[in-house]
Amino acid sequence: MLSAPETTFNELRALTDTLAAIGSPYQAVLVVAAVLLGVAAFLPAARRWRGWALGVMTVLLLVGEMALVWFHYRLWQLAAVTDPATGAVVGRVAVPLWVESEKLFVWALAVAVLGSLMSRHRDELLSGTMVVTAVLTAGAALLGRPFTDPVPGFIGQFIGYLQASSMGGVAAQQAFEGMYNSMRFYYNAWYMWVHPPLLFLSYGAFALSFLATLLMIARRHSSYETTAYRWARWGYLPLTLGMLLGFPWAILAWSGESWWWSGKVNMSIMMWLLYTAYLHARLYLRRQGMWKTVAGLSVLSFLILVLTYATTYVVPGAHSYVSNGPPSEFAALVHEAVSGL
Amino acid sequence: MSGIEDIRQRAWDFGLTVTTVILLAGLGVQSFLGTVYVWWAQRSIPGWEQSSYAGYVDAMNVIAAPQLIGLVVVMGLCVPKRLFSRRALIAVSAAMVLAGIGAFAVTGSLAGGVTVYLSLAALIQVAVVSLTAAGAKGPSYLTEGRLTKLGSGLLHLGFIVFGVVVSALQRSPFMIPVFWASTVLMVGGSAMSFYANRIAVRRSAPVEHDLDF
Repeated sequence: MLSAPETTFNELRALTDTLAAIGSPYQAVLVVAAVLLGVAAFLPAARRWRGWALGVMTVLLLVGEMALVWFHYRLWQLAAVTDPATGAVVGRVAVPLWVESEKLFVWALAVAVLGSLMSRHRDELLSGTMVVTAVLTAGAALLGRPFTDPVPGFIGQFIGYLQASSMGGVAAQQAFEGMYNSMRFYYNAWYMWVHPPLLFLSYGAFALSFLATLLMIARRHSSYETTAYRWARWGYLPLTLGMLLGFPWAILAWSGESWWWSGKVNMSIMMWLLYTAYLHARLYLRRQGMWKTVAGLSVLSFLILVLTYATTYVVPGAHSYVSNGPPSEFAALVHEAVSGL
Repeated sequence: MSGIEDIRQRAWDFGLTVTTVILLAGLGVQSFLGTVYVWWAQRSIPGWEQSSYAGYVDAMNVIAAPQLIGLVVVMGLCVPKRLFSRRALIAVSAAMVLAGIGAFAVTGSLAGGVTVYLSLAALIQVAVVSLTAAGAKGPSYLTEGRLTKLGSGLLHLGFIVFGVVVSALQRSPFMIPVFWASTVLMVGGSAMSFYANRIAVRRSAPVEHDLDF
């Protein structure tokens, strides 16, 4: 007869296998759809079908999101955390729908949905929106792989917890404490259910603002700046709220950890500061030559947004998916050069 | 206001806006350099996080504090400029900075000095917001419309209050309520400022005069 952890492990494996069986062909379809969307963005003959093409991609992404909702619901049913000392279930891990391997997918979905809903300068912005959606979708399918490698951090930790639980003793107690803390301060924290979606919503709006700014630069007309500004203010509100909400949560969850002025926090602050600077500078858009400063700040802000996203995977820290590895050759060379000064 | 005064006023407003943008960009550059340094140090110096992180945070705080104060000083010079003469405004702002420096000298705490300065700035901002809400003609904004101005005043007040939360209240039981107040002020003020024409009782569609650059 199987123990409870073994039963849960088998059910978990069956669940991830089922998702992979659906998700493997779905991810291939996503890549093909992304390529077609990218091609359609540039083909003059496809001009009249661009709105439809983006709509189809949006529906495709929404179908995938529904599958992920089902997967996360089943995961929540399986992910019971049991105190080995008492045998009582102290909670179930509710993994949010926008962490780990699902981040790029959610960003692609945000751009696709907002792009489908946009109305001002729609025809001119469609091509760019399709390209951004295609790049993010292809990235989600090829790099994130949320269907064939779902939430790998959580799955890895939970399997470790199940293995330790079946052994019992000190190992089981330690694994329980680690899983319980992850559940309490990370996965089930209300903040994790609010902060990332707010940011991805803002990222989607800022992508459209960036595209409108490129149009302004190309066509040198203020109406495109107005469109860029409208999307930027749409993005600025959830960005500000999402970032502010992180502060008390970080103090509570990262107590004793090095998070203040860490890489990701720095980049997030920089992104917010640059968008704030952009919103101030555009008050003087009509002043001689000021549009260049406004355009420069808007483009720079979006580039920093992309870098901020990438920082999670590059710079180690509390808010990061990368650990402190051995020094790279490049970093070692820089260190040597600086030490020699 | 005479033509020359109007031109001077606009030049002053533009100068303050440019200063704001430069200060925001300066803090942004500091954040970027901080990120690069963290990346380099984590990969190059064994045990850096355990041995040197606290010193790094102190250095970043010391560099950021004058820029943050500079931002709040510019805020303080910008809006109430019709309430006082420019000379009086600069004098009041300088006195507030000196009060902060004095607090720093007495307590030896950078956070203490910043908190004293921000608290004084918050008081002035509360007065500015109250006058704006009452429809007084004194406060002068770069934007038009009472709701837009009120939103702008509220979000700037929220920024200052959030600064107080960071500098003084991180271990205080008042942190959470004051933090929520600052969040509501910043986000609500931004929304009011952005969408004033939609939430106004007497709505007016903003007039856009398109132009080629």
